[in-house]
Amino acid sequence: MAQTNLAKKNRTRELLVALLPVAALLVLFGALCLTVNLKGYRLDMYLKIVFNEGVVLAVVATGAIFIYSLGSFDISLGASTLFSAAIGVMVYNSTQSLPLMICTIFGVAIGCSLLSSVLASVFHIPVFVTTVAMMSVLSAVAAQIITANGGALGGIGIPATVVAPLDNVPFKLIALLVFTLICVFVFDFTKIGRRLKFLGSNPVCAKLSGIKVNVYAIVAFVMAGLGVGLGAFLTLVYTPSVTPTTAGSIGMNILVAIVFGGMPISGGSRSRIYAALVGGFSYILLNNILKIVIDSGAGYGISQIVSAVFFLAVVYVTSMNYRTKLLPR
Amino acid sequence: MTKKMNPAARLAGTLAIPAVFAAVLFGLCAANGKSLFATPISVNYFVLYAAIVMITTMALSINLNSGHFDFSLGAMAVLSSVLGAKLSYALLGGGSGSAPLMLLFCVVIGGVLGLLSGLLYVSLRIPPIITSLGVTLIYEGITFTVTAGKYVNTEVRNASMSAFSGTWVWSALVIVAVLALVWFLFDRTKFGYDYKALQNGQKVSVNTGIREVPNALVCYLICGALMGIVGFLSTVRSSTINGGSLNFGSIGIMFTAFLPMFIGGYIGRFSNDKLGYLIAALCMSLLNTTFAAFSNEISASMQSIINALLLVLFLIYLSNEGLLQGLFHRKKSA
Amino acid sequence: MKKNIIKLLSLLLAAAMILCVFAGCSDGKTEATDPKTSDNAPADTKTQADTQAETEEAAAPSGEPIKIGVLVADVSGEEALGFRSYYENYIAKNYNVSFVYTEQLEDAAAEKSAIEKFAAQGCQAILSFSSADRATQLDTCIQNKLYYAVASGMLDDAQFETYKTSEYFVGQIGPSMDTEYEAGFAMGKYFADKGVKTVAMYGAFIPNPMHVYRAAGVLAGLGMTYGGASEKDAIVGQIFADQGVDLSKVGANGVELVGYFQGFGDTTFDELYGLLGQNPDAFLSVGMATTFFTDALNGAGVEFSDIDSFTSANGKAMTEGKLVYLAGKYSSSIGPIFAALVNAVNGHPVRDAEGNALSISQDYLVATDAASFDKYSTADQGESPIFSKDVLDTVIGDSVSYDSFVALVTEDRG
Repeated sequence: MAQTNLAKKNRTRELLVALLPVAALLVLFGALCLTVNLKGYRLDMYLKIVFNEGVVLAVVATGAIFIYSLGSFDISLGASTLFSAAIGVMVYNSTQSLPLMICTIFGVAIGCSLLSSVLASVFHIPVFVTTVAMMSVLSAVAAQIITANGGALGGIGIPATVVAPLDNVPFKLIALLVFTLICVFVFDFTKIGRRLKFLGSNPVCAKLSGIKVNVYAIVAFVMAGLGVGLGAFLTLVYTPSVTPTTAGSIGMNILVAIVFGGMPISGGSRSRIYAALVGGFSYILLNNILKIVIDSGAGYGISQIVSAVFFLAVVYVTSMNYRTKLLPR
Repeated sequence: MTKKMNPAARLAGTLAIPAVFAAVLFGLCAANGKSLFATPISVNYFVLYAAIVMITTMALSINLNSGHFDFSLGAMAVLSSVLGAKLSYALLGGGSGSAPLMLLFCVVIGGVLGLLSGLLYVSLRIPPIITSLGVTLIYEGITFTVTAGKYVNTEVRNASMSAFSGTWVWSALVIVAVLALVWFLFDRTKFGYDYKALQNGQKVSVNTGIREVPNALVCYLICGALMGIVGFLSTVRSSTINGGSLNFGSIGIMFTAFLPMFIGGYIGRFSNDKLGYLIAALCMSLLNTTFAAFSNEISASMQSIINALLLVLFLIYLSNEGLLQGLFHRKKSA
Repeated sequence: MKKNIIKLLSLLLAAAMILCVFAGCSDGKTEATDPKTSDNAPADTKTQADTQAETEEAAAPSGEPIKIGVLVADVSGEEALGFRSYYENYIAKNYNVSFVYTEQLEDAAAEKSAIEKFAAQGCQAILSFSSADRATQLDTCIQNKLYYAVASGMLDDAQFETYKTSEYFVGQIGPSMDTEYEAGFAMGKYFADKGVKTVAMYGAFIPNPMHVYRAAGVLAGLGMTYGGASEKDAIVGQIFADQGVDLSKVGANGVELVGYFQGFGDTTFDELYGLLGQNPDAFLSVGMATTFFTDALNGAGVEFSDIDSFTSANGKAMTEGKLVYLAGKYSSSIGPIFAALVNAVNGHPVRDAEGNALSISQDYLVATDAASFDKYSTADQGESPIFSKDVLDTVIGDSVSYDSFVALVTEDRG
């Protein structure tokens, strides 16, 4: 009886801690509404802005969950987004075809991801180091393409009218939801997701059970590539131009977003697709709130400090369920 | 039990990579009529850059090898150099002795920043990579706030700093001192033995009574102090500090240390890993000097690509060494 | 267990409270700041009774300050900080306006988002110092009915043609690409006339268009050809294509270019010292050299030049160091575009004869010795800038002609 009660209590505790990121998102959402109203700003516009800022991060981070669930992480996703968008623009400018541009963007994004996964799994290079190298190469090549073709404008772009009809919240929301549902389906309702989590939790055991690590690593990278492709397309929908700095901060922000969303960096069975969505929007909300309330020049530094402290506090609380006696590595 | 290597093999293994680097790079320059060390100043900057790379690589590897991935190395270097510069300027106004005083401040402040980062890690008990994300953002934020986002120029432009960059001797002394200190700490003290035990088996080591937390804290402190030195040397090299990096703008510095870390680790198999880092740093500095000599032919983008390809190729070799050796031996026996 | 849950909830509540407190505090601060800005205007303008009525009407008919959003891509540079100081510490104190600045904008998405935030915050106009994607900036301003002006750099010709008739595009005042070329040309010519035989060159952040045009000008000014071309457009096109200056394409004519490098990274100082080892007579930079290389160049005893701004550090380099030529902007050079923006917000836009937006190129000032440097820097000090309130008031109002505006901007203020 006592044991049942204890188990029940533990489950409740786990549930509460697991729900904390969602609670944090709601608190931040409330705080943004409050702050914007107190300042007398337009809330409808701010909500749209936050959504626009968060959607690309959420999409790319959602795809990245597949890699993170393996206990690996990829910091080249921002560079892949830039590279895919740049190639997409080049293709559009040569063919004037939007469908071809979209296909190219997805193709290039998946190709970049596949290259990373092949290097990592076939040549047995640590995933992180592979992605560091990929980040350097992709951003350097993209910069070369953009500056060589951008001329005096400093960037390349497609006519704004091509994607303007898609630059609205309903379209982006549908894209986000469809992609998230696909990811949820693959991650939570197929053996792919289960095996990825198994590989992340206990790679040795998973290998001994006959799971082909390389195959699942490639699947994970392909799913991340899909996220990057959609992210690159949505980037172009929002601003139809690409400069060498486009999507520059996404690579690291994905890491922050996923952890903020309550997913352990070690991946495994506690990986959750919604972590990216919740964490991505929470991080964007937090940054926006801080930028509204601390609005002096030196305040950029202070708001970053406050944001980091808040981030660490949330991660500290959400990691309660998996804290070990030994120092975590 | 591994077979003990004979001294000739050790020497050959230690010098193979630098010999290949030197032969290829000097050969390339000779073939194209370029000179790598045209002036004494080139030598000064070669040694200075080697010092920066060696110390960054050591700081990266100390934490990475013990499972503490640390994104905040760059932020620590920048913040310690900013504070070191401001404090030394406040005391000496850029007068005689400014450079050594700034170096001292950088080491102390770097150590404190490292220790704070370590304390945060051991208190929160969340994975070090996550702690380091937060710490990076905090240190960048402090740097931005202290400098108001400006370049720090006045505080670091004085005769004393120029004298430091005016000869390779100071940089060489820093290299020797750091090398000796790190070798002593990690290869000749109880702390070092515990560090290695924890590195190779955390659970077993803790069960045998090794105190993990103090060891981790000292590691963070040493890394911080080393990055303080890197901050100082980088300031000497560029005679300015950019105080405006936010949102992970400072993490680039650690990426330059990956290739020398792997090369150093490889060389370490034949001698000592610390010596390996020095040799790897010299190789990277030589590569850098070659890039400079070919700056009209090799753009910055191309340099990034070459560095990345070298990293990937070297790792492919390292990860598949057994396979390659197997192939080589099969061919030989056939 | 319970303890942990309580801890958890208290943390959450604490976080929420902190955010609310921040919100509350900040709100109060802004409330306090805005009236202060408003109060300053009448106090300062008492001494200028003749222009007071017109200015008050022009700047703020309803008594509410005009809120201007400023897009910035550089938060660290001396020039950028000088501009900011002029707007915040001089203009905001002398006019009924308030400025809201962005953080460092990294890309086009950040620019668009910033403009939308300004619109949500009730800004009436946007001043842009950021150039990742001017077209998107303009589209976003038009969509949100915000007046837009370019305060640094210029739109390219095709973009200007597209937007010049838009009522929300106020205009652009700053060095045009032609002016950038001319600035480089004048610098090159200065050294050629001086009789230098060998020079080294720093291309700053080519392929940044501004730096490409300046570098093309320097080559032409030194009497050199590039890829056989000596015309502006041909040189510029080739530099864009080469992503830098390819030494093998430089045709010398009396002056030899012994070395060239660009960017700022791990190899920069090796490249610099490699060049200095060749003992060039002069080091010509198209930007940022005074920030990065002053010490090294002074130490090597090589005369150098740059296109930057009239800061105290540059003054010191000219007085005590080897800086011998500086083409620069002064902090208050962004005054006229502010005046144009205020006119537009108040319903009296200044347009050319065809009703198009303003497009006026502003030249650089050139200092070649300590005396000329001092003349420009002292003429543009905090409380008495070159474009002071008295000067700007002559072009703020409902009856300002295009010609008078152009005359104000192009008048030699040296």
